[in-house]
Amino acid sequence: MPGNGADTPDGARRLVRHALADRLLHWGMAISTLILLGTAFLPILGIEFAWVTIHWVSGIVLTVLVIVHTVRASFWQDLRSMWVDRADLRNTLQLARWNLRMSARPPGLPGKYSLAQKLIHHVFTVVGLAAIVTGGLMMVKIDTPWWDRNPYWLGEDVFGVIYVIHDLAALALITLVMVHIYFALRPEKLHFTRSMFLGWITRREYNEHHDSARWAVDAE
Amino acid sequence: MELFRVSRDVWGQEVLQGMSWDLIPFFFGAGAVLILCHLVYRWLLAPKGQPK
Repeated sequence: MPGNGADTPDGARRLVRHALADRLLHWGMAISTLILLGTAFLPILGIEFAWVTIHWVSGIVLTVLVIVHTVRASFWQDLRSMWVDRADLRNTLQLARWNLRMSARPPGLPGKYSLAQKLIHHVFTVVGLAAIVTGGLMMVKIDTPWWDRNPYWLGEDVFGVIYVIHDLAALALITLVMVHIYFALRPEKLHFTRSMFLGWITRREYNEHHDSARWAVDAE
Repeated sequence: MELFRVSRDVWGQEVLQGMSWDLIPFFFGAGAVLILCHLVYRWLLAPKGQPK
C-alpha cells in the first residue's frame, strides 16, 4: 500500500476528517430526521400522541440544517470530495472483477469518501429534499406562528400528489436510515463512525483506507 | 395490498390521501434484506483482504 505508515509512531497521529461544525450538522440532521420518522410512523403503529407540532418544527429544523450544510459544503469545503468521478467508477469495476475472481488485483483506494458513501449521500439528498419540499407545501394546511391555515391554496388533486411524494420519501427514509446505521456499525467502518463523533482518524487509518492523491488531509 | 390511501370528497369522487401504510413492512423488510445480503456477502463470498 502506498505510503503505509501503519508501523511508524506517526501512524497514531490524528488527522481531521470532520470539523466540529460538520459533526454538529450531521447529528442535528440525524436527530431531526429520527424525530420526523418517529412522529410520522409511531401514531400509525398505534402509539398516539400530539405529533403534528413536533413534526413540523423538526421539519423546519431539518430544513435550516440542510441549507446551512449546503452553503458550507459549497463555499467552505471541497464539493468535489462528494462527487462521483472516473476513479470511483474504475475502482468499482475493479472491485467487481476482484469479487468475481476475474482479477487478483484489489481495487484502488477512495478519496475522502468511498463510492458507496457518496451514493447513499446522494440518495439521502434526493429523498430528503423531496420530503422537505412536499412537507413545506403541506404546511399551508396547518396554523403556524407565521400564517393561518389555508387548505384551499392548492387543489385536492395536487395535494394528493404532494402527499404521495411525501409518504414515499418517508417510507424510503426507513430503508435508508436502517442501511446507514448498519454500515456505521460494521467493524471495518467504526473509524468512520468515531470520526463523526470525535472528528479524527489516525494517520494509520488514513494510509490504509484512503488514496492520499485523492484526499489531502489536515493534521488535528 | 393497497398502494395508495384514498377517501371520497363531498361529491363522492375519490381523493388521493397518500401512500398506503401497508407498505411500511415492505420498506422495513427491504432494509433488512439489504443488510442480510451484505452480511452473507461479507461472511461467505468476499475475497480475503477485502478493501475497507
